[in-house]
Amino acid sequence: MNIKIRLKRFLPFVIKYNTVFIFLIMLVVSAIISDVFFTSANLFNLVRQVTPVGIISMGMLLVILTGGIDLSVGSIVAMTGVLCAIFTQTMPLPLVIIVSLACGLLVGSCSGYLVSIHKMAPFIATLALMSIVRGLGFIFSKGAPILVGESASVLTDFGSGNSLGIPNPALVLVLIFAITSVLLKYNVFGRIIIAIGSNEEAVRLSGINVSAYKFTVYAIAGGLSAVAGIITTARTAVGSPVMGVGMELDVIATVVIGGASLNGGKGSAINTLLGVLILGMIGNIMNLMNIPAYSQQVIKGLIIIFAVLLQRFQRNNN
Amino acid sequence: MKDVTFKVMPGEIHALVGENGAGKSTLMKILSGAYSKDAGKIFIDGAEVQIRNTHDSKKLGIGIIYQEFSLVPELSVAENIFLNQLGSTGFWMKWGKVRKEAEELITGIGFSINPSVKAGDLSVAQQQIVEIAKALSENVRVLILDEPSAVLGPQEIQKLFDTLERLKKEDVAIIYISHHLSEVFQIADRITVLKDGTSSESLPVSETDRDSIIRLMLGRSLEAMYPVHDSIIGDEVLKVADLYRADKVKGVSFSVKEGEIVGIAGLVGSGRSETVRAIFAADKLNKGKIFLSGKELQFRSPRKAVSKGIGMVPEDRKQHGVILSLSLKQNISLTDYKGITDHFGFIKAKKENNNIVELIRKLTIKTENVNQEVGKLSGGNQQKVSLAKWLNRDCKVLIIDEPARGVDVGAKVEIYNLINELSHRRVAIIVISSETSELIGICDRILVMHEGQIQGELTKKEFSEENILRLAIGENENGSTIQSVV
Repeated sequence: MNIKIRLKRFLPFVIKYNTVFIFLIMLVVSAIISDVFFTSANLFNLVRQVTPVGIISMGMLLVILTGGIDLSVGSIVAMTGVLCAIFTQTMPLPLVIIVSLACGLLVGSCSGYLVSIHKMAPFIATLALMSIVRGLGFIFSKGAPILVGESASVLTDFGSGNSLGIPNPALVLVLIFAITSVLLKYNVFGRIIIAIGSNEEAVRLSGINVSAYKFTVYAIAGGLSAVAGIITTARTAVGSPVMGVGMELDVIATVVIGGASLNGGKGSAINTLLGVLILGMIGNIMNLMNIPAYSQQVIKGLIIIFAVLLQRFQRNNN
Repeated sequence: MKDVTFKVMPGEIHALVGENGAGKSTLMKILSGAYSKDAGKIFIDGAEVQIRNTHDSKKLGIGIIYQEFSLVPELSVAENIFLNQLGSTGFWMKWGKVRKEAEELITGIGFSINPSVKAGDLSVAQQQIVEIAKALSENVRVLILDEPSAVLGPQEIQKLFDTLERLKKEDVAIIYISHHLSEVFQIADRITVLKDGTSSESLPVSETDRDSIIRLMLGRSLEAMYPVHDSIIGDEVLKVADLYRADKVKGVSFSVKEGEIVGIAGLVGSGRSETVRAIFAADKLNKGKIFLSGKELQFRSPRKAVSKGIGMVPEDRKQHGVILSLSLKQNISLTDYKGITDHFGFIKAKKENNNIVELIRKLTIKTENVNQEVGKLSGGNQQKVSLAKWLNRDCKVLIIDEPARGVDVGAKVEIYNLINELSHRRVAIIVISSETSELIGICDRILVMHEGQIQGELTKKEFSEENILRLAIGENENGSTIQSVV
């Protein structure tokens, strides 16, 4: 009886913070299943693995908050990764980074232009760009992986190195997470994109330039995909046109596991980050347990369904 | 709605009249199975029936023609009429038969519409005929019509009445919902008045008259509801000339002065909302000029309109006026972030809070705090939030589309007072309303629209429900009917 009452009080709490609880459960389960999990080598490995998805997920969160979706992110990772590797052979490093980033921003801007000005469905516009940009990646690289130039050792050192005991790419992720988080909580920009995702027409009739905001979120998502592309290239010292295949789905999954609604207007940076870690841990622990890749895919899918069902339960409870 | 009782006989046309918000649509939704009743009983042929969903309602032979039509625009007339029976005709569609039966139904009620035409390509009046044919195809015993004349011209109304008379002879019970008393007295056998969710006794038409019905509808003196309005009218602020918008607005010109409250009346579909939406640039303008304080404006977006000092409280509160899932604070601040943010767009939380608290106090919005979700507020308070958005910034012109629709009496009075106060602060105000009494109560001047044009203008001395209605159905100021030019 007593336990029942306590459970009743506890349950809404669990449902409200379901992402946090799933994260904690994953941590505990991982620690029990594998004694290697909590070693620093493995945690480093985990963090490095999730970083590209994590960086893009912040951009995807912004897009999803407006009620949109961006399928082109994986292709942008490949294209900018390839371009970054090509540029290192001829250009000074700062220019390499600026131009690569600009390419990502440009692709994102194309999606943003199609969605905001031409009112194209985001799914369709970014699906088209996903195909175009993937193709461009192959064209630029002539289909082969491209080694990073000798002169760019600073880049590869950064990609594989640590600062303050943390892998550098992870620091980039933390920085981007912090900026997103602050923007969403304390800045007009965050306020308005959440409002757009909640009811676009009401925002437009309040005298706000909805198109400009929608354009911007796609541009940011493109730019962050380029960051992920550059970091991946820096870590592996190779720019490959097959990077990031299917990555858009992982990114969308992390945002959804983080409790964001694909209809827009609902989602937070911290929960998305937890979603990134949850998805990363699922892959990591299954690798540690030597579960074959195909079974991993099945289990990953099941966990996504479970997480979203839990959120549906939350919405119904409200 | 609470405690409504009335009976309809076979072969009777029973009118339900009442102001907006009196409970007419709730009653319909219960009969159609869209809402479920909390208490009470429904009888058909003396036997109590249960209406749990729309399917039950159909099976019982209740046919409903809504004010907003439920036709599928992309399907043909014939397909629409037989939509819910299409599945029961076997594997192959017998298109020839479907079309023929549809045609028979339509000619049967005295009209001719090609059954192969897409429903979306029909005029509103024709769509209504299709709705009636659809209801008849299901062997209705009880036919409910919600404001059927709102979208019809005078000749079409006559045809509709002929149709209803014919159905009456076939022993169909007809419930005719309207607030146009002249029609009601022309067509109905008995009248029941709904007011604030309760029903009066049903009166035979021969034993009552307009005045007593109006008294039943309003239930109180009009004067008490509306503020004493002594406007100080200044220079012309807004002037629009020759506005055209799709086929809804056809050459509208008018102007509004500082501190003036101008009402726009008209039937549903007369182009009232379309006109003001075009002024606010919510919809594109096909032709026409807009002047603000004598300077022509080239609006291409609501953002520009707002930056020039025009505000609009939209007709549809829940869809366009407020964002239900967001907080009071997030809603109200939407119209003006400049005052509460720094150069980088970061929000000054304290300043914002003070601002919102001030507005809540001023509009007496009943809420727990500034972070309360607007969807959890009552309709009246939601409407106040929709208004508060524009008090949040200085507007020169404020357009209010249906200021008090679906709002309880107390909130109505507060909203009227607020509009009055705004006019004292020299804001030029345009009010659109379907409640003529509301316009008469608060406006300085009323424009009446009919089929996308301004049919006439009434000064305060000329205000009367009858004058407004006459212009709204297309009669000119002398009383003769103008042939509608289409």
